[in-house]
This record gives sequence, C-alpha cells and structure tokens, in this order.
Amino acid sequence: MNEAQLLRKACQGDGPAVRALYEKYSPRVYAVVRRIAADDDLAQDYAQEAWIRAIRALPTFRGEARFSTWLHRIAVNSALQAVRTAETRHKREVPMPETLAVAPPARDALLSKKLEWALDRLPARMRKVLILHDVEGYTHDEIGELLGTTTGTSKSQLFKARGKMRVLLTDLDSSESPGSADAGKELEAWNI
Amino acid sequence: MEHLTHDTLARLVDERPNPDEREHIRACRRCAAELRAFRLQSDALEGLPALRPPSGDWASLEARLVSEGLVRTPETFRRFGFAAAPAWMQAAAAIVVFLGGTGFGLALTKGATSGGPSPEDMLLPMSQITSTEEAVRMVELAERAYMQTLARYRQFRGRSDGARVTDPLSLLTALEGLLAASQEAVRVAPADPVFNGFLINVLAERQEVLRQISTGRDDDWF
Repeated sequence: MNEAQLLRKACQGDGPAVRALYEKYSPRVYAVVRRIAADDDLAQDYAQEAWIRAIRALPTFRGEARFSTWLHRIAVNSALQAVRTAETRHKREVPMPETLAVAPPARDALLSKKLEWALDRLPARMRKVLILHDVEGYTHDEIGELLGTTTGTSKSQLFKARGKMRVLLTDLDSSESPGSADAGKELEAWNI
Repeated sequence: MEHLTHDTLARLVDERPNPDEREHIRACRRCAAELRAFRLQSDALEGLPALRPPSGDWASLEARLVSEGLVRTPETFRRFGFAAAPAWMQAAAAIVVFLGGTGFGLALTKGATSGGPSPEDMLLPMSQITSTEEAVRMVELAERAYMQTLARYRQFRGRSDGARVTDPLSLLTALEGLLAASQEAVRVAPADPVFNGFLINVLAERQEVLRQISTGRDDDWF
C-alpha cells in the first residue's frame, strides 16, 4: 500500500493505517520533540500530542508538501507550544539520555550521546534555535516565525548556542577518565 | 594577538569571513582549529539520528486516539461482528442488500415501529456511505432492524393470546424472502459472522416451519 492510500485510510480512522504511519515516522517525530523538550517523559507526552493533532488534522492535509514535512512541522509546533505553556520547568541535572537512537553507526554512538547530553544542558531558547537550525535545517526566517522573534535574534541565539555547546563538549571531554582507552579515542576523535 | 570570539567562530560556520577575520584565521592555528571544531560540531548535529520512542508508546497513543474517536481499531469492528476495519465498506454493502432486498423484513419492521423513523428508514444507500462512522452506524441500525424484524416475526407467528398462526405456508413464503436476502448478504460478505448468523437463523427457522408442515407440530425455537 502506498503512502497516499495509507493517508486516505488513516483519514477514515483506520487503525492499522495510522499504525503504519506511526511506525514509519515516529522516530523522526520523537527525535525533534525529545530534543526540544530535553526530557524523556515530557517528550513522550509532547510526541503523543503531536500525533493526536496530526491525525485530527489529516483531513486538512492536501498533499502540497510531503507528508513527512507536514507532520514534522506539526511536531515542532506542538512541542514548542507545550514548552511555552509549561508553567514550571524542572531545572535539574540531566543524566545521559536513556532514549535509544535508531541504529546509529557504532563509532558515532558515543558522539551522538555527547551531543544529546550537551543539547539537554543548553538554555531552552538557545536549544530550540540550535535544534531547529543545525539539526532540523530550518532557516532563520522560519525559526523567527515559529518562535515569534526576528531573524537577527534567531542568528544571535544560534551563535551563542554553538559556542555554549562547544564549551560543554570540551568540558565533557576534559572530564573523562584519561585511563580509558575508549574515552581516549573518542576524545581524540572529538578534539580535532 | 586577540583570538576570535566563540560568537564570531559560530557565525563563520555559515557565513563568509570579512577580510580581517580571514587574515586572522590564516595566521592563527588555534582559531583555525576552533573554527574546524565548530564546523564539525554543526555537521555532527545535522547527522544526529532519529530516536526510537519508548516501548509502549504506541499502545498509549492508540488508546488516546481511540478515546478521542480518531481511529477505530479491529476491536471496534469485532464488536459489530466484522473481522477488520477494511471490510467495512463490503459489510455496509451487505447490510443495505440485506435490508433493502427483503420486502418481508421491511414490512414486518414497519409494522412494529410506532412513531418516529424506523431503522431501515435511516439506512443510507451504499453510494452515500462515505465514512467509517456512517458504516458503523449502519451496522447498528441493521442490528436494530433485524431485532425488530425478529420481534415482528414472532408476533406474526404467535398471537398475543398465545395462540399460533395456523398457516405455516404463509410463514414459509415470508421466510423465503428473508432467506434470499440473507444469502445475498453472505455472498457480498462471505466471512462476516453477523450475516452468517442471520442466514443460519433463517435456515433453521425455515427448516422448523417445513418440519411443522410435515408433522403438524408447532415449537417456537426463537
């Protein structure tokens, strides 16, 4: 069954069709939401909210954009709105994320984990801009629109976020055990 | 020599350096290395993999989707006697054929309805059923119509004072109509348990009437 047929069926409330869409796109939806939320539990809630919104809005999907793009935009909007409307946010030490990457190459696994760890520690606004720009490929105009800021502010936040990430990662590498051969290799790989 | 700031290096990941910055990067190994590290960092971020949602995520999402009426699971359809959602259109067709094809059943049902529209009055023609919700509603209406038809049939067989209709040939004639409609419904949806149930009931009733004709006995198996 092709995607157009799946979408038609999902639009009619067909459970297996919705499940098929979920199986195909949930890793990407969860990834962007998890990175914006910087929290595993919140990410699950936000991702579910994004799916509910998307399935509810399916009848309005006209196919002008790819479904993956449309869905991704809903996920980003949903997560940003959830973060914005959260009344309080727990400021706490974030452990290495438990979330599993979808089959990352083994040699990149630790690097990915370090990046996720550092992303979680960025101030919320910087993190959002960095994720949207460097991870998801949004332009500054799009980010300004999504976050309700100017292009200039988006750029400024991005540069600060990159700088902060660089510091976090350098500190992380410095703090790793020098006696560990694996850690030494990763450190070498990272500190080009 | 004053090194380039992190803000500047971060900007140079995307933008071209001005002449002073270019000159500095050429001359300063440390800033050149830092700029490479910034670029590597952005490339690595771009290459971050998708993340697998936690186990059990689909189950809880599905529960929410069902509770909000956004999806119908196979369980929803099993409740109405259908094997799976994709068969709903076929099943709806069978319902319309079933009730539309039996003048006897409809006549009995109309007779049983006092005031308000009867279920079969609310049934949509096949061409007008466009959604799962409508199809399920049609199933519910078909079930109601069937039960009303059954009630009328019983009324037809036995008078209110308990006396029996003594004309089994009239019953047999009426059952032939129901039988034809049931067979047609099963032909359209051969795996459907509801229509198969209808057919079995009608066949059993027909068999019973035939037995009454041959023996003169008058048991009510319903």
